[in-house]
Amino acid sequence: MHSRVTNLAAFLGFGAILLALPHTLSFSQQEILVFLTINVLVVASYRLLTLTGEWSLGHVVIMGVGAYASALLSKRLGIYVPASMLLGAVTAAMVALALSFPLFRMKGFYFLIGSFAAGEIIRLLWKRFREPFGGPKGIKKIDPMPDFDIGIYAFDFFEPISYYYFALAVVGVSLWVMWRIERSPVGLTFHAVHWQDKLAEASGVNVRAYRTLAFVLASGFAGLSGALLAHYIGTINPNSFDVEQMVFVLTWTIVGGTATFYGPILGCVVLTILNEIVLREAGFEQMRPLIYGLILILSVLFMPKGLESLVRGALSWRNAGKKKVGETEATE
Amino acid sequence: MFAKMFKDGLTRRRLLGSGAAIAGSAAAAAILPRTAFAADKVVKIGFLAPLTGPVAAWGKPGLDGCLIWGEWINAAGGINIGGEAHAVEFVAYDNEYDPSKARTGATKLIREDEVKFIMMLGGDTWPGAQPVADRTGMLFSTLLPSDLSPDTTTLIAPCEVHPIYNVTGVEWLADNMPELKTAVMCAQDDALGLPSVATYLAAFEAAGIEMQDDPLLFDPATTDFAPVVTRLISGNPDIVCLDTCYADYVHPICEQLFQQGYGGQIISCTADFYQQIVAKTSEEFMEGFIFQFPDFDDPALNDESINFQMPNEFYAEYASRYGADQWGAVSWEYASIMDLWKAGAEKAGSAEPDAVLAAMKEGGTGLHAFGEADWWGEDLFGIDNALVGNWPIVVIEGGKATIKEFRSIPEWYAKHGELLKKHMSAYGQMWDQRA
Repeated sequence: MHSRVTNLAAFLGFGAILLALPHTLSFSQQEILVFLTINVLVVASYRLLTLTGEWSLGHVVIMGVGAYASALLSKRLGIYVPASMLLGAVTAAMVALALSFPLFRMKGFYFLIGSFAAGEIIRLLWKRFREPFGGPKGIKKIDPMPDFDIGIYAFDFFEPISYYYFALAVVGVSLWVMWRIERSPVGLTFHAVHWQDKLAEASGVNVRAYRTLAFVLASGFAGLSGALLAHYIGTINPNSFDVEQMVFVLTWTIVGGTATFYGPILGCVVLTILNEIVLREAGFEQMRPLIYGLILILSVLFMPKGLESLVRGALSWRNAGKKKVGETEATE
Repeated sequence: MFAKMFKDGLTRRRLLGSGAAIAGSAAAAAILPRTAFAADKVVKIGFLAPLTGPVAAWGKPGLDGCLIWGEWINAAGGINIGGEAHAVEFVAYDNEYDPSKARTGATKLIREDEVKFIMMLGGDTWPGAQPVADRTGMLFSTLLPSDLSPDTTTLIAPCEVHPIYNVTGVEWLADNMPELKTAVMCAQDDALGLPSVATYLAAFEAAGIEMQDDPLLFDPATTDFAPVVTRLISGNPDIVCLDTCYADYVHPICEQLFQQGYGGQIISCTADFYQQIVAKTSEEFMEGFIFQFPDFDDPALNDESINFQMPNEFYAEYASRYGADQWGAVSWEYASIMDLWKAGAEKAGSAEPDAVLAAMKEGGTGLHAFGEADWWGEDLFGIDNALVGNWPIVVIEGGKATIKEFRSIPEWYAKHGELLKKHMSAYGQMWDQRA
């Protein structure tokens, strides 16, 4: 009971911090916060995919599928933006389902290369077909999220604070759903497919179906993040979803760690703050790629289990301390 | 500076460069108008361009040039706005050629740094900044007028009317080498490459030069140019056109052309850091290479029709600070835009964006770096926000870029404008096709 109250208080406190956070930031930091919130959904969805042991190089392109679909549906067919975002997510999931047929004939490194090739084919299609994808220039003047007023707060979605609250709600719900999936029997089967695929198969688990399910679910959430991005900046092009962006997602995931739900999110938050705020403010703007690369190498060398290992270390140290105090009190 | 000079070794080149730079600074102080300088008045200018990544070659050298420009202007008393001298300060933000970072950068520069004018490279990044420009009314400049459309009322292209000036190079080539009759072209398949492809196609057609094949469009992620070049020169063309390829492509393509034994004419929009290409190939191979961006130590820039202030001294200062091999297409361009902005702000007596824009465009003409020019563009861009006049044709001779001639873009357009519109339409590059 005591633990539940503590957890609820911590959750409410964290929620209050997230709500108050943009008001403590400068305008440009608010903008970065919006993109950071969207990227949190990208890395969290990427981890969902990696639960089955497969690492993809096409995740950012799938994010782009959601962005393009949502942008086109709202711009061409006049579909209400929140509905087009959901349809964008569904489109990304459907494209992933179609890709799963050739891709899941492969495993491991071959799947990695196959996903990269599939992603490049999609990107080249966006470039090749100016109608409807806009070719290399992409799509401009994408409909923004329509403003509305809820009495206590008027949402003007040009302003980063308004869009942050909207993105926070969408990302929060998505993270909760992903969290529930991982804790469900389906999530446990994802782990089984990763660590003991032969044993799982021998136990009657359809390994390929579960890999496909993880890929489709992760792609749906990635598509949703792409839609959030498209309707905020108002423009997308094939270069927005190229392999360079994918390297960022991989870096966040590797530096954060994939053993826990929060690992990649931690990597994304820490590295984004470092890259976009600390290094820029410190006057190292033009040296950022160098420093960023150095951090990746150092983290792999000295922190192979990612930033999450620091958190886990701190938590176990605290728990050990509590246990020791309890034992001392019991002895006395 | 002197300690560094002696530590690194005093070479003849460094001595000459530094001497010219000192002379330039002194001359700047003597020639530029002196006003009572009030150190507490500062006007901030935003620089929102790629400073890192593959497109940095069209951002970073421009910032370096602006810093020299700013130091010279401040040394000469600053900018006189409404009777008061203002020091100029550049605030840079690296947008990494990413629209989302362009939006963040525009927000920071306008709402936090309170700049009065923002210079951009444009291209993919402009649509990210455009909502901020629309909402705040901030005056922006771009080097790529293909960003212009009727609703970009606060965006100007006052220096480089890319890619329209490329027609002057082809026209000069046709006049001076009439025996060259066939051409091929390659370009990266992106927002910068395609309008340039359309322009070169129009220019070749106007000059009576036949295209051997459709333009070869390669993906911007391409790193191996051997197959691209092999296919390109398989028909033994008289002319290879490199369109507006990024420096990262021009260099390896030239190396491949050299290694695969091509001996014909090469024409390109840019040849940034061409000394490095000469070093990788040979002086003989690069002899006669035509492009559009001069070194500013060229004596032809001392002509009285040139409006860029002390180009030779500017080049010497740039070369002494960053090295002559770091001089690129944009090293002078952002500084020349600042010349126009300064004149506009002084004329308006205000640094406010709308007042400066009105002063700049008053009379429909402006003092472009290469001479007096017209505010033009409604035909192609839907708005007269591009400053168009003469443009130089540059040829590499003896390993050094040399201006051969200045030619008029409006005169070419008056004769062949319909051809340009035809090819622009075919590539979906007219303003009403770009939404």
